[in-house]
Amino acid sequence: MDSTELINDIKTNVIQGRVTSDDEGFDEGFEGKPATVELVEKALADGTDIKTLIVEGLTGGMNIVGERFESGMYLIPDMLAAAEAVGQAMDILSPHLENAGVKSKGKFLIVTVKGDLHDIGKNIVSIMLKGSGFEIVDMGTDVPTDKIISAVETHKPDFLGMSALLTTTMREMPNVIEGLKTKGLRDNVKVLIGGAPTSPEFTEKIGADVHCADAFQAVDFTNANA
Amino acid sequence: MIIIGENINATIPRIKDLIVNHDGTALEDLAVRQEQAGANIIDVNVATGAGTAEDEINDMKWLIELVMAKVDIKLCVDSADTAVLKAGLEAGGEKIGLINSVKATEKNIAEVLPLAAEYGLPVIALAMDEGGIATDSATRLKACEKVIKGCETHNVPVENIFFDPLVMPVSTDIKQGGTTLETLKGIKEEFPQAKTVLAVSNISFGLQKRTLINQALIHMAQYLSVDALLVNPLNAEFMLAIKAGETVMGRDRHCRKYSRAVRNMNGK
Repeated sequence: MDSTELINDIKTNVIQGRVTSDDEGFDEGFEGKPATVELVEKALADGTDIKTLIVEGLTGGMNIVGERFESGMYLIPDMLAAAEAVGQAMDILSPHLENAGVKSKGKFLIVTVKGDLHDIGKNIVSIMLKGSGFEIVDMGTDVPTDKIISAVETHKPDFLGMSALLTTTMREMPNVIEGLKTKGLRDNVKVLIGGAPTSPEFTEKIGADVHCADAFQAVDFTNANA
Repeated sequence: MIIIGENINATIPRIKDLIVNHDGTALEDLAVRQEQAGANIIDVNVATGAGTAEDEINDMKWLIELVMAKVDIKLCVDSADTAVLKAGLEAGGEKIGLINSVKATEKNIAEVLPLAAEYGLPVIALAMDEGGIATDSATRLKACEKVIKGCETHNVPVENIFFDPLVMPVSTDIKQGGTTLETLKGIKEEFPQAKTVLAVSNISFGLQKRTLINQALIHMAQYLSVDALLVNPLNAEFMLAIKAGETVMGRDRHCRKYSRAVRNMNGK
């Protein structure tokens, strides 16, 4: 198998959302065939160009997953499966990235705001961004506003992503933004928000940079601003 | 979840006629459609009651040979008569995947378990003994224990036993659903190596919208990790409900099987 074929095969397995060989794919008939992890390990052993592998195999695959999700063909578990495949591939590749000349696209700090314990959406965004080449600092759920602000101060992220699933907790978001302004940090970081009750109108009102209706919108925005 | 297709059963009047008249084409078609619908094994029962014991043996041989030529999945020989089971096993050879069934009576254990050992096949064991079908789970579990002892005597691995806790209509005894589930739970606790199977349809006998009642029983049995179901696979919504139960129980990573089944259904 030459490296183009191998990278294509990795892309197929990302689209199918297969981590290891015993995984089923979105389509039928993949069980038992080598999947993302096995193929990425083989690519490493073969000395395949890691940059091409990431751009064409992983990101290329994920772009198609994004299209299929937008079109309604893929559902949440299909997207999660693909994101998991990319996440595991990145774990295998991460020790080799520097030597391969692959730079992080930027640092992304992600939280669910104070009082809110929802994390499914936040985790999807995390894994998708990781697969897209960003460095993720995930502070978890129910993160107090002052902790978010001091984390922006110490980690110096390029992006801050905030999630809230409740109308009561989304009101914490403007407090974070005000806090960032007070500390003079607001201009250093792009603020993305998301979660069921949030909206573009709310985003504008509180002075965040962008509203993300789903994980792919977060990926698109960060890539465009990387 | 192992799906055993129940449709080729001579106790169904239409099927009885097909078998009595040796109408092969319709029976072949029924086998093929069950396979396409997702059955893993096809049950073959020829107990028409129309002819002699000798006729039944010949019918089994005829039907097994007919069906095995048409499907890739294995068949389950189904008879209360050991001679008929034997005829099916001989005719089907490697194509037989399951024996249905052995009762927990001394006589039946002595006749059927040696067949299971000889052919190295799994066998469905009914939770009933000389006393018939008990209405309570404790008595049914005692019957199961007799089968387990029989496994030792006749060298049948307990893994090859599919216990049927027995399903009786709730229309005649409202406590029967509970008895079935309690027995299933007891089997899983007391004989964890053994597998379990439910012949589901009986639960809804005499009621309307039977599929709903069948599904209710299946979903509760899925919580207790039932291993196999003897059902009609040709009802696509019903098969999807079974997949939904597996998905809810976490036995369908990334909901793949459920989602795919929905897509296939919408594509049709």
